[in-house]
Amino acid sequence: MKKIFIDEQYCIGCRLCEIYCQVKHSKSKKILKAFREDQPGTLARVLVEEIGSNSFAIQCRHCEDAPCTGACISGAMAKNENTGVVICDEEKCVGCWSCIMVCPYGVIKRDIKSKKVASKCDLCFDEEEPVCVKNCPNEALKIKEI
Amino acid sequence: MKAFSASGSAKGMNIKMVKNKNILNTDYLIIGNSAAGLSAAENIRKNDKNSPITVLTKEKYSNYSKPLTTYYLAGRLEPGNLYFKKSNFYEENNIDLKTNQNVVSIKSSDNLAITEQGNQYLYNKLLIASGGRPIIPEIRVIDKTGKTLSLDEAMSSVKGIFTLTTLDDAIMIRKYINEYSIKTASILGGGLIGLKAAEALLGLHLNINIVELSDKLLSASFDETASGILIEAIKKSGSSIYCGQTIEEIYTENNSINSFKLSNGRKIPSDLLILAVGVLPDTGYLKNSGIKTDAGIITDSRMKTSIDNIYAAGDIVKSHDVLSGSDKNMAIWPIAVKQGEVAGSNMSGIDTAYPGGFLMNSVEILGMPMISLGQSSIEYDDKNKDLKVYKSHDTDRKIYRKIVVRQNRAVGAILIGAIERAGIYWGLINNNVDVSEIGENIVKEDFGLIQLPADYRKHLVVGEGIEV
Amino acid sequence: MPLKLNQSEFVVERDLNKCISCEVCVRQCSNDAHEYDADDKTVLSEASKCVGCHRCESLCPTEAITIRKKAAEFKDNSNWQQAHIKNIYKQAETGGVLLTGMGSDKPHTVYWDHILFNAAQVTNPSIDPLREPMEIKTFIGAKPEKLEIEKNDSGFKLKSKLGPHLELSTPILFSAMSYGSISLNACKSLASAAYSFGTFYNTGEGGMHKDLQHFAKNTIVQVASGRFGVNRQYLRSAAAVEIKIGQGAKPGIGGHLPGEKVTADISSTRMIPEGSDAISPAPHHDIYSIEDLAQLIYAIKEATDYLKPVGVKVSAVHNIAPIASGIVRAGADFVAIDGFRGGTGAAPQAIRDNVGIPIELALAAVDTRLREEGIRHKAAIIIAGSIRSSSDIIKAIALGADAVYIGTAALIALGCHLCQKCYTGKCNWGIATQDPYLTKRLNPSIGTKRLSGLLRAWSHEIKEMLGGAGINAIESLRGNREHLRGINLSEIELSILGIKHAGQAW
Ligand SMILES: Cc1cc2nc3c(=O)[nH]c(=O)nc-3n(C[C@H](O)[C@H](O)[C@H](O)COP(=O)(O)OP(=O)(O)OC[C@H]3O[C@@H](n4cnc5c(N)ncnc54)[C@H](O)[C@@H]3O)c2cc1C
Ligand code: SF4
Ligand code: SF4
Repeated sequence: MKKIFIDEQYCIGCRLCEIYCQVKHSKSKKILKAFREDQPGTLARVLVEEIGSNSFAIQCRHCEDAPCTGACISGAMAKNENTGVVICDEEKCVGCWSCIMVCPYGVIKRDIKSKKVASKCDLCFDEEEPVCVKNCPNEALKIKEI
Repeated sequence: MKAFSASGSAKGMNIKMVKNKNILNTDYLIIGNSAAGLSAAENIRKNDKNSPITVLTKEKYSNYSKPLTTYYLAGRLEPGNLYFKKSNFYEENNIDLKTNQNVVSIKSSDNLAITEQGNQYLYNKLLIASGGRPIIPEIRVIDKTGKTLSLDEAMSSVKGIFTLTTLDDAIMIRKYINEYSIKTASILGGGLIGLKAAEALLGLHLNINIVELSDKLLSASFDETASGILIEAIKKSGSSIYCGQTIEEIYTENNSINSFKLSNGRKIPSDLLILAVGVLPDTGYLKNSGIKTDAGIITDSRMKTSIDNIYAAGDIVKSHDVLSGSDKNMAIWPIAVKQGEVAGSNMSGIDTAYPGGFLMNSVEILGMPMISLGQSSIEYDDKNKDLKVYKSHDTDRKIYRKIVVRQNRAVGAILIGAIERAGIYWGLINNNVDVSEIGENIVKEDFGLIQLPADYRKHLVVGEGIEV
Repeated sequence: MPLKLNQSEFVVERDLNKCISCEVCVRQCSNDAHEYDADDKTVLSEASKCVGCHRCESLCPTEAITIRKKAAEFKDNSNWQQAHIKNIYKQAETGGVLLTGMGSDKPHTVYWDHILFNAAQVTNPSIDPLREPMEIKTFIGAKPEKLEIEKNDSGFKLKSKLGPHLELSTPILFSAMSYGSISLNACKSLASAAYSFGTFYNTGEGGMHKDLQHFAKNTIVQVASGRFGVNRQYLRSAAAVEIKIGQGAKPGIGGHLPGEKVTADISSTRMIPEGSDAISPAPHHDIYSIEDLAQLIYAIKEATDYLKPVGVKVSAVHNIAPIASGIVRAGADFVAIDGFRGGTGAAPQAIRDNVGIPIELALAAVDTRLREEGIRHKAAIIIAGSIRSSSDIIKAIALGADAVYIGTAALIALGCHLCQKCYTGKCNWGIATQDPYLTKRLNPSIGTKRLSGLLRAWSHEIKEMLGGAGINAIESLRGNREHLRGINLSEIELSILGIKHAGQAW
C-alpha cells in the first residue's frame, strides 16, 4: 500500500499541509470558501507538531494492526483490506472517541461541528496524491509505495 | 432489525445434519456473536479459507454492538443501525450464524455443545465468547402488603426494574418509558454502564438519580477531581447523585417499582430503576465441561482454556492485566476484540500471543468527553511512594488532565475536556516507554509526539514512515 | 530613538478579501513583519520590518500578499540621491559602518549587456546541437607547451605529460561560499549538484564539513588568510586547492564571523574553538610578494604530491593584469578573478560599491596580457562576479575565460530574492543563515534538483549559441574575440575588451 513518509528534518512548520487538507475535506473544495463561508467548517486531518525549530506533520499512519479499528464500538472505523486505508465511515460513527483513546499517534480529531464524528486522514483516496504531500513546499512529506 | 433465522445458513456451507439426532457438524464453533466472537471468526477466515465456521448466539438478532445500545436508548440510533459488522459480513466470510441457540452445556469429551433448543454442535475447535451477565445485587423488594422478595426473584415479576446489557434490555426500557410516560429514573451504579445509561436518559430529558456505593463516580478509574467535575456537571443538569450509598429496599405498588430506600434511610420515589452494578463472566453453563474457571475462564497466553481444543475470549475471560501483572475481569470492547483476534489466529494455526491489556474507558457525558486509561485513579501516598502524579486542572474550561507515572513508566491517565491526543498515552503505557525525560510536560495540553524520546518516536513508526 | 528618519522600504499589501488568516506568513517571516491578532482573528503587518525577501508572498496559499517597493518620498535630486540620504540617516543614528550583502547594485556599466555574440550565415554552416555532437567539456589546469603524440602498435598515444587538472562537464563551477556564510543545507545542495552534474563547488574559507566529505572529488578547497579548517587531509582529499587572496565584493578587506555564529558544528569544521570570532585577516600574513605566494603554492603542491591543481583567487583591481601574470609565474594552475559585482555574505557597503573593476574588463586585460607574455597556457582563467545567464558565460569564454564561477546565480536558483540582508543571519530562504528554524527551509534534495536544472538549462543554451555560431566545441570559442562585437562602447572600452564595434566586419 501507499504510505506517507514524514521527514522532520525538512518540515518548516508552515502548516500548508493542514490548510490544504482542510480545503480538500471542505464542502466547496475552494480555499477561500472553505475558510470563510462553508458551514459547517472542516478540520485538518493532518497535524503539525512544533517545538522551537523542530517540527513535523503527522497524519494517520494507516497501521498494519490498527488499534482504532479494534476499539471502535460501531464498526465505523475500518481498514480497507484492498487499499490498506483506514477510514472512518462518518455515517456510522457515533462519536464515542474510543478510537481517539487508542491511537498512538493522536491523529484522530473530534469533529463536533455538525454530527459528532471522528475525523481522520483518508489518504485522499480519491486523489492521485494526498494533498498534504502535494502542497508541502519542502518535500517534508512524501508518499511511497511500501 | 433483520433477524437471522437459524436455517439461514450461508450458501455453500457443508454442515451435515445427521438425521434425527439434530447433530450439526462444524470445524470451528464459536459461542457468542459479539466483539470477541466475530473478530475471532474473521481472523479464522483469513487463515483458513474453507473450513466451516459456525457462530451461535442465544439472541434473536444478527450482530449488534452492546455499547451502542445506550445510543438506541437515547433515541440517537434505530435498532437497524446498531450492527458493527455489516449484514453481508457472514456471507462474505462464509460464516454460518445460528441465532436463538442458547448453549446450556458443553461435553468436551465428545466435542459437543448442546443448546436449549435441542441442537448439538460437533466441533473440532471451540471458542467460548459468550460474555458476561449483569450482577443482581441482594436487595429486598417489598410490596404494599409487606410481602418481600429477593431482587433476583423480583426481576421477572416486578415491572420497572431492569438491567442493561443487551439490546432486549434497552428495547424494554425504552418501551417502558414511553408506555408509562416515565419522568424520573434511577440508576444503581455509577460505573461505565450506569453513566452511559445516565447520558442516554438525560438525553430523553428524564430526571435522574444515580446511586453509587463508592464516594466517586467511575470509581474504578476516576480520582476525586475527575469524579467531582462529573458530579458537578450532572447535578447542574438537574439530576441527583447519591454517593457512598446503596439501595437497601425497593418498594413496589401494583407490581411496579415506586420508590426505594437508601442505606442512609432516605426514601426516594422512582418509576424506573436500572441496575448497573457490573457484569460477571457468565460461566454457569460450563460447570461440568471440565473447563477451568475462577471468576472467568482461565486461559493461557494463546487464549486456550484448560482443554486443548477449546479457546475463550472477551468478557467471559479472566484476562491478564499488564499493569498490575495479575489476572482479572476486564469487560471492555477493545480487549474482547483483541482477544478474539488472538484466539482466532491460534485456532487457525497461526501462533500468536495475547500481550495482555489494561482497563480504559471513553465516555462523553453532557458534552464533556472523558477518557481514562490504566491505573488512573491512584494517587501518590504511603502505599504508592514510587509514583509521580502530574495533574493540570483548568476549571474555567473544564479541562482536567492527570498522568500517573510509576518508576518512569506511564501507567495511567485521565483526560477530561481536551482528549484529542489521549492515544499517545495509550501507546506510552502499552509500550512501557521510559518517560522520565519528558517530566511534567507529559501532562500539558500541547503534549505531543514531538516531546517523546526520539528513539521511541522512531520505534513507534519503524516501517511506518517518520524519519527522525 | 522615537524620531524615525528612515521610512519603510516596502509596502506590505494584504488583500483582506483573500486573507484567510492561516498565519503562514506569520510563521515564515523571520523579521516578525506579520503578526496574528487573536482578538480580531486577523493578520496585521508591520512594513518597517519587511526586508523584501518575498518569502511570505511565495508561500501565501491565496496570493493575498503583495510586497511592493515604497515610492520615493524625497524631493528629486540627482546629486543627493535617496540612498545617500537614507544612509546618512542610518549612520547618524548608529554611528557604524554600513553593512550589506550580495553584489553591488550600483548602475555601473554591465559590459556583458554591451557585447553581442555572433552567428553563422551562409559562409559557414550553423550546427544543430540536438543532431550533432557538441563538446562543452572544460579542463582547468596548466596546459603543456605543445602536444606530442606517438604511435605504437595499439594506435595513437599522448606522449606529453599533462599536469594536474579538473575535468568539467560544462564550463560552470560554483564559487566559494563558506559553511558559516551560508547554511549547511545550501552547501549540501551545491556539493551534490556539482557531484551529479560533473563539475565542482568551492568550500570557501569555511573548511570542509564532515557531511560533505563524500563529495570531495567534486570539491575545490580554499586556503584563505584565516587558514580555517586547513590541514593536510583537507588539502589532499579535495580535487583542487584555491588560495584566496581577495574577493570581488570587498577587495583588500578580510572577513569576520562573529563568535555567536561559531556553533559547535562550524567550530569543528573551521577547527577553531566554539564561540570564538573567526577572523580572516585582510592579507595573508605570510604573503607580501609574488615570491611569498609562490612559496605557498609550492608548499601546497608538495603537500598534495603535485597531484592537484592549485589556483589563486584575486579580486579584479586596477593592476589585475600584472598581478595575474605574477600569479601564473608563481606556479598557479588556475587564476580565479572575482569582479567588482561579485557577491558576498557581508561587506562594508562603501567598499562593495566603490572598489575594484568590472570583471569583463579585468578578464580581457588578463587574457591579453598572458597571451602577450606567452604564458596563457600555463594556467586556466576562471572568472566570477555576477554571471547572470548563459549568454554572460559564452561572452566570457570568447573573451578568454576557461570557465566561470557562479555564486549569486546559484543562490537565486535556491530561492534567494536578493534582499541583500545576508549579513543579518535571518535569511528567510534558509540560505545565508545558521538558525536551525530557517536552515531547514532549504531541503538539499530540492536544492540539488534546482541547481542541476540551472546547469542543465545553461549548458543547453551554451550549446545552442555555439551551434548557431557554427562552432562544435567550446575549446574553439575560447579567447576567440572575433565572435564578439561591442555596442554603445567607447574606443577605449573596445580596445580594452579587444573587440570590434557592432557593424565592423572581420
Ligand atoms: C450498555 C453497555 C455499554 C457498554 N459500553 C462500552 C463502551 O463504551 N466501551 C467499551 O469498551 N465497552 C463497553 N461495554 C462493554 C462491551 O460491550 C463488552 O466488553 C463487549 O461487548 C464484550 O464482548 P464479548 O464478545 O466478550 O461478549 P458480549 O458482547 O457480551 O457478547 C456475548 C455474545 O454471546 C452470546 N451468548 C451469551 N451466552 C450465550 C449462550 N449461553 N449461548 C449462546 N450464545 C450466548 C450473546 O448472545 C452475545 O452474542 C458496554 C457494555 C454494555 C452492556
Ligand atoms: S507543508 Fe510541509 S513543511 Fe509545511 S508544515 Fe506541512 S509538512 Fe511541514
Ligand atoms: S468515535 Fe466513531 S470511529 Fe471512533 S470509535 Fe467511536 S464510533 Fe468508532
